[in-house]
Amino acid sequence: MANGDVDRMAKSSDRGLANLDYDSGTLLLDAWTETAIQRIFGQGIWVWDSRVGRWRTDACNYRLVRDVLATRNYGTIDRVPQWQTVNWSKIEIPPLRPEQQKAVDAWQQTRRGIVVMPTGTGKTEVAIQLMASGRCSTLVIAPVRDLMYQWHRRILRALGYDAGILGDNRFSVKPITVTTYASACIHLAELGNRFQLLVFDECHHLAGPLRSDAARCSIASDRLGLTATWNPDVVNTKTAGAVRWDDILGQVVYELEIHDVRGRTLAEYEVVRIPVALSDLERNRYDQLSEHVSDYVLQRRTDDPGFRWQDLCAETQSSQVASRILRAFREKQAIEERAEEKLRVLEDLFRLHPGERMIIFTGSNAMAREVSLRFLIPCLLSHCGKRERLDYLEGLRDGVYPAIVANQVLDEGVDLPELKIAVILGGKGSTRQAKQRLGRILRRQGEAKAILYEVVTSNTREVERSRKRRKNDAYEGTRHRKVRKRPGAS
Amino acid sequence: MLTRELAIARFENGLVLPDRLTRIKDQAYVEYAQQLCEVYRNGIGWTRKSLHQAVQRVLEQDPECPVRRIGAFCKLLDEWSQFDRGNPRKTAELRRAVFRRAASFHPLVEVAESILEHAEKATKGTIASELGTEWLQLKEDLFADLIENHRLKTFDEHGSPLELLARYNVAQTQVALLDSVRMVIDATAEWKTILRYAKLAGLMHRILKTETGYRFDLQGPASVLRRTHRYGVAMARFLPGLLSCRGWTMTAFMKRKAARFARPEFDLRLELSDRSGLVSPVQPPEDFDSNVESQFASDWGDESRGGWRLVREGTVLHVGQRAFFPDFLLERSDGESIPLEILGFWTPEYLRSKVETLRLFPQHPILLAIPKSTRVDLEGIAWSPNHRWIEYTNKLEIGPVLALLEEMTKR
Repeated sequence: MANGDVDRMAKSSDRGLANLDYDSGTLLLDAWTETAIQRIFGQGIWVWDSRVGRWRTDACNYRLVRDVLATRNYGTIDRVPQWQTVNWSKIEIPPLRPEQQKAVDAWQQTRRGIVVMPTGTGKTEVAIQLMASGRCSTLVIAPVRDLMYQWHRRILRALGYDAGILGDNRFSVKPITVTTYASACIHLAELGNRFQLLVFDECHHLAGPLRSDAARCSIASDRLGLTATWNPDVVNTKTAGAVRWDDILGQVVYELEIHDVRGRTLAEYEVVRIPVALSDLERNRYDQLSEHVSDYVLQRRTDDPGFRWQDLCAETQSSQVASRILRAFREKQAIEERAEEKLRVLEDLFRLHPGERMIIFTGSNAMAREVSLRFLIPCLLSHCGKRERLDYLEGLRDGVYPAIVANQVLDEGVDLPELKIAVILGGKGSTRQAKQRLGRILRRQGEAKAILYEVVTSNTREVERSRKRRKNDAYEGTRHRKVRKRPGAS
Repeated sequence: MLTRELAIARFENGLVLPDRLTRIKDQAYVEYAQQLCEVYRNGIGWTRKSLHQAVQRVLEQDPECPVRRIGAFCKLLDEWSQFDRGNPRKTAELRRAVFRRAASFHPLVEVAESILEHAEKATKGTIASELGTEWLQLKEDLFADLIENHRLKTFDEHGSPLELLARYNVAQTQVALLDSVRMVIDATAEWKTILRYAKLAGLMHRILKTETGYRFDLQGPASVLRRTHRYGVAMARFLPGLLSCRGWTMTAFMKRKAARFARPEFDLRLELSDRSGLVSPVQPPEDFDSNVESQFASDWGDESRGGWRLVREGTVLHVGQRAFFPDFLLERSDGESIPLEILGFWTPEYLRSKVETLRLFPQHPILLAIPKSTRVDLEGIAWSPNHRWIEYTNKLEIGPVLALLEEMTKR
């Protein structure tokens, strides 16, 4: 008997009851014969697992499996789902706008798929409407902790439900639970049979092999993806084409373009670009570092014409020279990011808009703290506790604080409904990030126009990144402006 | 555990070679490790940031030292340390107080150009004195709860310099395993411990008998569906346990993304054995579970008694994901063999679960030694006819065991 695998047992009749179980992110089915499995399910769903002597498949195939068993009238002992119907103590959702209603209707046709709507057009309300009418166990997955807590508040406000929180060192799982992608990755295999609906907020975060793999661990038959930008090509390159979106989420069911709503739902906005120069000291060091870096890259390209920047990063593992070059590159970035002149420009912008609340984005935590210390305005970093963040965000909304500065924690979807002015002091070049950041200030407030200032160091790579950002259609009509030089500043 | 961002490895002929510091090749590092421990030992009260800068200065004595190695040593030293996290709530309140006060002076400008404007320096001084301090101090305190500003409280001195290097080597191998999709272990001993650690890490096994012992093929539940490195974390977590065992070789199979190659993923292996020189941070397992066992083994000795030899943990009985490791295997020269399991002490529940396990192997003869007790009626248990038990007081005698063995093998 002690001979490894359990012998495959051939059931005398494959019309026995189907025993279906959940096992950390997968489903297990009785030891039916291979012929029976193929006749009933076709190929490619169940795989024989000799380690346990049963058939196994991804948990995300649950709906399919149940459907097949039901249409063929197989008696099923289903021990898989651990979910329940949810009763709301209230439903208080503002009437949906036509485009929101369209999104709701489109998704309800299949109860799967992605809703693409620009930031500020009320994606959250669409999701909450669907949760309200679905009344099923739901897991909401948000990119960062702030947004996780924001979902918690929105659900409490709209549905009177105090949702469970999974993440930020908290582990409270309820029929309605909010979490982050990082936590979902860790826990979804254990909790994959607890939820019938998954809401993926900013669902482009699902890209990446580990995350898309985690999404397979859930039996949820209903899946809703929300995003402002959906470019399957980009997303698929990131995951090396391995994601089958149909398995884990579905296709786009509704898409609202940003120009459809510009000036209607959203405020009119303009983008103003302000170039700043490096100080002499900064400039000298910057040029010196640039020379190191480009010499190295040039030399490596002579050896190997296919040499790319990613290769350098890989080489730092073993090559000291490569390490030094990477360090030089980072210092370069730090110089452009934290140019002294940016703080002066910021001072000017504060003066230019007296009494106007502003939000400032930086490219690094260090710069965010520098701005905070210089102007004594709240600095929203990932280490801030929940209460502190709330104080800052609500304080900004209510006018207690004139401005706040943040690194990436505010990148997506954090509600700041009445803000009209934002400043970017350096950041990444991706269009997605730009769109998300714009979404912060694109909120309509009467007839008032929103402005996004983008402060970039001239003659540096930042200019290139800014150019890349503006390829995004949201940036159309960017104006360039030199802020007046203050008297006394050199 | 280190993060992927701190991993250093070379690749050679499909083999992953994690960064490894050896006393011969990297002699200088023994000295550096000494200095690193000194930095932390003398650095009580320093901020994490300044400690890490000091670590960097020490390691930069080696001009070849990669940035990742510096980061990894910082991480390992931090793991041996306790930091004072300050008082986050108080610091948050301080920030709130400062920012709220400053709000009415916004914006703080370098040079006030009109009576409506507020100069930065003066205003900061005013706010600080309102809070009973000075600006320079306030500036220090304002972000004291940041991880990089935490101050070192204690440094655990079990960290001898050589142990630090040993930990580094294990840590680099561990982080390399994060990409593993499968792990195969050939073991000649300590099967029970190896499988116990694997199970603890959440891995599933296949077991194969080999000429010298057993082969454990470790993967996760979904591994039969596709090659996934979902369980790489579990395999990395399993490594310290494995390293505490003797008599094994291990091959981990991994897939890697390689941007420059046409195929997006290609296969790599990481090979290791108990002789690779990696020192486990986990204590080696106890040799014997109980005194009765060790007593019995030493009484029996190495010689053959009545034609039977005693082999410690000589077999693994397994079905599905359940495995049973009898304490001994009794082997006769004609090839006959019977496992012997000795219960040191027992409660009715423990005995019941043992019997439950034995029931998984009804066809297999098993001998069970149970300490005498009047509380449970052993006769009343529904034993499989192949399973026999023997009672003992204080010490298991050889004679009755031999007698029962003969009886069990009589045909």
